[in-house]
Amino acid sequence: MLCTLPPRDVGPPRVGWAPMTTDLEGETPEQRAERFERDALPYLDQLYGAALRMTRNPADAEDLVQEAFAKAFAAFHQFKPGTNLKAWLYRILTNTFINSYRKKQREPQQQMTEEVEDWQLARAESHTSKGLKSAEAEALEGLPDSDVKDALQELPEDFRIAVYLADVEGFAYKEIAEIMETPVGTVMSRLHRGRRMLRDLLTDYARDRGMAAAGAREARGEGS
Amino acid sequence: MSCGKPHDKDCAEVLENLFLFLDHEIEEASYAEIREHLDECAPCLAKYNLEQVVKTLVARSCREPAPPALRERVLFQIRSVHVEITDIDPGLGR
Repeated sequence: MLCTLPPRDVGPPRVGWAPMTTDLEGETPEQRAERFERDALPYLDQLYGAALRMTRNPADAEDLVQEAFAKAFAAFHQFKPGTNLKAWLYRILTNTFINSYRKKQREPQQQMTEEVEDWQLARAESHTSKGLKSAEAEALEGLPDSDVKDALQELPEDFRIAVYLADVEGFAYKEIAEIMETPVGTVMSRLHRGRRMLRDLLTDYARDRGMAAAGAREARGEGS
Repeated sequence: MSCGKPHDKDCAEVLENLFLFLDHEIEEASYAEIREHLDECAPCLAKYNLEQVVKTLVARSCREPAPPALRERVLFQIRSVHVEITDIDPGLGR
């Protein structure tokens, strides 16, 4: 006798770009453009911020955002209204970045990710000091935005994008998994490692700034 | 590192789930347990605060408005290119 198996778990629902053929069939190109302008364009600043973190320079970020918006517009009839437009746009942005900008440097990127593990382990061991955590937190809070951006730039790309999507955009792990086309477990590990590296880098920056400030006081003869 | 006092949930377990807690990716029961632990355990709270500071810093530092020229270019694209909308691969598949 054949057993009826329960339907296979097909994973979380997709962010939502199933072909939409019902309500929008009668939509004219003008109406679609209007709808795109009204619904998608408000995400321009956010996508630009993300593109800057991805490409690490303003000229490439502008090109990337423009290309992503062109693709999103061309595919907008496939976007299902009422589903997560922001995640849909981010997925197009991330894909465009990976396909257009990262392809040529894929090899070095992978090597870098492996190198990072040893480097990170060494760091993890050197950061076991006790009792200074709240002072450390305070020092980090005082860091200028430019330091935070510099530190982010130093993270391997996949870690950087995961951290950005979680911390700046507040996407849920499941959404990040769909945007980055990777299992949730991978998202968690990228976040975990990315944040740990980021924290260590920021701690170093804060320490350097603290020493620089102490040096300046000493030079002025204020002592300690 | 532990404060040495007994807790319902031990420190290792709390620290293991710190990011899940921070990102609200944990079910309500565990969330409450971790919350309770952090209220009682200073070392774990300090670690949590540090992670929270890093998360907040990233959110604070990375907001940048798009240049006006980019907005204009994208708008121009939308307004002029809607002549034919075809099934161009939007880059959704790799």
